[in-house]
Amino acid sequence: MSIEVSIHQALRHLTNGQATVKVNGNTVGQCLNNLVNQFPGIKPKIFDKKGKLLNYVEIYVNLESSYPEELAMSVKDGDRLHITLIIAGG
Amino acid sequence: MLTINELERYDRQIMIADIGKEGQEKLKRARVFIAGAGGLGSPAAIYLTAAGVGIIRVVDHDSVELSNLNRQILHWDEDVGKKKVSSAREKLKKINHEVKVESIEETITEANVFQLITGFDVIVDAMDNLPTRYLLNKAAIEKNIPFFHGAVYGFEGRAMTIIPGKTACLRCVYRGDIPKEKFPVIGVTPAVIGCIQATEVIKYIVGIGELLKNRLLIYDGLDMKFTEFKVKKDPQCEHCGHVRKG
Repeated sequence: MSIEVSIHQALRHLTNGQATVKVNGNTVGQCLNNLVNQFPGIKPKIFDKKGKLLNYVEIYVNLESSYPEELAMSVKDGDRLHITLIIAGG
Repeated sequence: MLTINELERYDRQIMIADIGKEGQEKLKRARVFIAGAGGLGSPAAIYLTAAGVGIIRVVDHDSVELSNLNRQILHWDEDVGKKKVSSAREKLKKINHEVKVESIEETITEANVFQLITGFDVIVDAMDNLPTRYLLNKAAIEKNIPFFHGAVYGFEGRAMTIIPGKTACLRCVYRGDIPKEKFPVIGVTPAVIGCIQATEVIKYIVGIGELLKNRLLIYDGLDMKFTEFKVKKDPQCEHCGHVRKG
């Protein structure tokens, strides 16, 4: 099972500058945990202390919003995740 | 009916088959509400004024600061210390005196939002914080006014068009609040996003093209990439869940 995760610009310093990372998992949550195992520094930037996604983190699966299922959403081999951050500046 | 002057002024866009004289007349009759006269509000207001919309109402409570000038192109060196809405009105009238520009120096709140937006055909979301964006999103849905969202951070921006009752709204897409912060930004980013918002408004008013409905467009200026994400209306949304498709 191989899923490609596209990393937001603002988080790439936590993935050694990589724009995409290969992960394993059957759900979005498992994929993100696998990402955290590879790059522990990214954990506090996407999860709160209880393991919930932070309010400003958005996950898209194959360019479609995963909200509201999010972490529980199933994924399959070849799927692509995008981690984006909500912005509000004007 | 367009005047001889207007026919000449808008000649190049009237030449666009999808606009024509009929489209230009629709623009002339349109009433556009712009929330914010900052980084996004500047290009959006400038291009909508140049395009010849009938009335633009700009609402902002801030005064111009030196640190605004890298991106808020309606405001110049000489305007530091002036109210942004006064500075904006002055420039917009110089760009196109045919457009009626209303400048209102107020903070948008729950108490005044309906009064401010009533009678307008579209709302441009050019705010700098999520709570006011939510307030406008909710009010736009209540009053059935299309809402043109844009936001920026650094070299990144996003835009989405919300048609009440028909598309996902801001609250369908965003889970909750994020802290208000002093955000980094370079002027070219709101220039891109503000122009996308203005383009969407023009298309909506004229009734042409494909709007960013249920499509969140994210612009990454560093990678120079536009990515489109599909979003969906949340039936349980606290802002639009009760609004049925019209």
